[in-house]
Amino acid sequence: MLFRLTTLLMLLSSLSVFSAHAGQLQQAEFKNGVKLIVEEDHSAPVAMVQIWLKVGGRDELPGKTGLAHVFEHMMFKGSKKLGPGEYSKRISAMGGNDNAFTSNDYTAYFETVPSHRVSEVLGMEAERFANLRLRDEDFQKEIKVIMEERRMRTEDDPNSRMFEELSAASLRLHPYRNPVIGWMQDLEKLSIEDVKAFYNKHYVPGNAIVVVVGDVDFAEMEKTVAKTFGRLKAKPVSPRFNPVEPEPFGPKRIMVEVPAQLPMLAVTVPVPVWKPGENDREAAALALATHIMAGGRSARLSREIVDAQRKAFAASAGYDATAMGLDLWYAYGLLGPGQKPEAFEKALWALIDDMASNPVGEKQLKAAKRNIIAANVFAQDSLYLRAKEIGHMEVVGLGANNRDNWLEQIGKVEPADIQKAVKRWLKQERSTTGLLKPEVKS
Amino acid sequence: MKLRLISMITALFFAMPAAQAVPPIQQATLPNGLSVLLMEAHNVPMLSMTLVIPAGSAFDAKGKGGTATMLAGMLADHTARHDHISWADMLDQDAIQLGAGAGQDTLSISLTVLKDALTPGLDAFSELLKQPGWNKKRFAIMKQDTLAAAQKEKEEPGVQAAQAAVELLFGDHPYGHRPSGTMESLATISLNDVKSLFARQVKPSGAVLAVSGDITLAELLPLLEARLADWQGKPAQMLTDIPQPTALAGLSKDVHMPTSQTMVQLNRLGAARSDAAFFPVFVLNHMLGGGGFGSRLMEEVREKRGLVYGVYSYFSPLAVAGPFVISLQTRADQATQAEDVVRTVLAEMAAGKISKDQLKASKENLIGSFAQRLDSNRERVELISMIGIYGLPLDYLSSWTQHVEAVSLDEVTAEAARFLKPESWNRIRVGSKLD
Repeated sequence: MLFRLTTLLMLLSSLSVFSAHAGQLQQAEFKNGVKLIVEEDHSAPVAMVQIWLKVGGRDELPGKTGLAHVFEHMMFKGSKKLGPGEYSKRISAMGGNDNAFTSNDYTAYFETVPSHRVSEVLGMEAERFANLRLRDEDFQKEIKVIMEERRMRTEDDPNSRMFEELSAASLRLHPYRNPVIGWMQDLEKLSIEDVKAFYNKHYVPGNAIVVVVGDVDFAEMEKTVAKTFGRLKAKPVSPRFNPVEPEPFGPKRIMVEVPAQLPMLAVTVPVPVWKPGENDREAAALALATHIMAGGRSARLSREIVDAQRKAFAASAGYDATAMGLDLWYAYGLLGPGQKPEAFEKALWALIDDMASNPVGEKQLKAAKRNIIAANVFAQDSLYLRAKEIGHMEVVGLGANNRDNWLEQIGKVEPADIQKAVKRWLKQERSTTGLLKPEVKS
Repeated sequence: MKLRLISMITALFFAMPAAQAVPPIQQATLPNGLSVLLMEAHNVPMLSMTLVIPAGSAFDAKGKGGTATMLAGMLADHTARHDHISWADMLDQDAIQLGAGAGQDTLSISLTVLKDALTPGLDAFSELLKQPGWNKKRFAIMKQDTLAAAQKEKEEPGVQAAQAAVELLFGDHPYGHRPSGTMESLATISLNDVKSLFARQVKPSGAVLAVSGDITLAELLPLLEARLADWQGKPAQMLTDIPQPTALAGLSKDVHMPTSQTMVQLNRLGAARSDAAFFPVFVLNHMLGGGGFGSRLMEEVREKRGLVYGVYSYFSPLAVAGPFVISLQTRADQATQAEDVVRTVLAEMAAGKISKDQLKASKENLIGSFAQRLDSNRERVELISMIGIYGLPLDYLSSWTQHVEAVSLDEVTAEAARFLKPESWNRIRVGSKLD
């Protein structure tokens, strides 16, 4: 029934016992560069439609941060054929809302609809994609809304503020140094001309991927997309902005002193992302190392640093092997009354050093692998998550066909690989440390 | 073990348009009184289940807000047979996701497993329930961490507003504190308080086990019976024992925080889950501010004036009337203007200024987005457990879109007059400039 599931279960079965069914990922490319990916699933009469764009915060020019995210707002302001408000009304009548997300690497718009309405949705999506109405009066209102969004998410949230500052301090060239929502100083200067220029440059067919997961027929979808997105005029596609980040010359340190209740200490380290066929073992080892530190119930950060050593009241870490160019690996600890940042920092590096020096137990490694694969199986029961994984793998350039390859690579990792990857990349001299220090009122 | 079902399996399936077909909910009651509800989904070899028990924060002892949450934490942490380390290792070994949490009415224990790990998953589930560990050292650590988390939480305007709101709206009523408690209330909680709540309320009779996933009722029941037959008893208090709160209006409270935005929340009592006009109130709230874009508040405050990123409304349909809340955040100097716009919308709707077209648009959006509410096993389980614990009909989901469709303009107008009069709301503000 589901090809994807079959592979996942086979992967699991190398660790335990399983049986499986079949079906698969079907793809088509149109002359103008639009790509269609369909995963049929006829278990319920609904479908998830997602339009993915190879444009995100990383593609903004200096001084224009926040532009990619502006579209998440402007795309609901109408097009040539659909007047302002009409687009929203029609999407709303199909059960949709402001369904969109923007990251550093991509922008995506999505709808869950009864299967028979998929072609209608695709028609509307193609229409606004090609003929977006970009009026200054709408922009002036939306940019105010976005500033309120930034105040809410960042300015008034000490932890977000600290991570924004830390990212900016950690990297010199790579665009992950800029917040997706944009710096307030840039937001204040953006104009409708900037918005139009960005739209003309990036909202081109060659940057669009149509993902449909659910109760649809691939051949039908191919016809529908040919009549909608496939008809858009081809335009040149600019390469993604993906500079090589210079190697750090030594540890960096910042402090963010803002009103807060309790301190937080966070550490970032630039690490490689997955390049299939090039660094499979290393990227998979980093993912497993991070899972062993921060994933599941037996996470070492919680077990050792929080529960046993009492150096923080919560601690975690994260790594995204599917980022673009590099990933900013991070770990943080939330510190309670009497818990000292220096002590947490010391404990964190002691744990990382231990992972570099000593092999992880076979049992622990097996559990980590099983949990990563099981999480993928659990995600298969959500059309939203399935489409999101396909779209994400495509826009970052890995390709949706590599989804299972990644899990196969996870399966191959041995304890020595983890030691090697941690030793090579998670080094204090490559790190940036940030401390959120609660402001003391005089 | 022989199966003795008190009531036999009932499966209700109402004729629905193909696009909205919802699998039926099947029901059975175990001899110990536990009600089991199942929705089959065989497309992925996994199961999700949630046990809901009337042991939420409404049953916390007076002044000890947070007890149910601490109980959930203790139950999930270790058992009498496994310390926290061997317990965590055992669950991770089979990728068993097992956790517990507390809301106002209920304590819930949730399990998500691969089908092939169902046996160890159910073993762990019943061990958690029947053999709690009550390790003193673990309790001390958990309490300290919970206290620190409660302090950290005070950095969030939303938490500060919610705390002020429950105190203002409910006072001494069992809903008068947030499930997570406060630093002050958490400090007074002892292990005995937690054990006592468990002993009083965590019983099978009146509890509901909601299941969604790759299993049939015939397969599931013997597995449950084998593990839960010796779990017996009836809770000291039921949800029906929660008293009706008293309505208060026109009150105001300000909380000072060093933020650039002011959060404005208007609140009052909403409708209980059992309210005869539940669907009209539900649709009314969607039109007011529950429906995102297209809702009146979003249209007036954000789309027309650009004052906020988000403005929304919701009501918590609990065992009795929970809070009905309207919330927004805006730059401090715009807060008064934004609040005035909200009050104007309330006054207009309360006076019956609601058009047929608006009603139609809201109903279409609700019906069209229904499939998204059921997108995963975990989301389905949450809905099914709600149906079980509040005694809603088993065809609730399969007839949901019909109920929404049937809501008339007269009904919505009547509920608007009942709930939206501006003078019936209280106000909480959180921020630095609150003149």
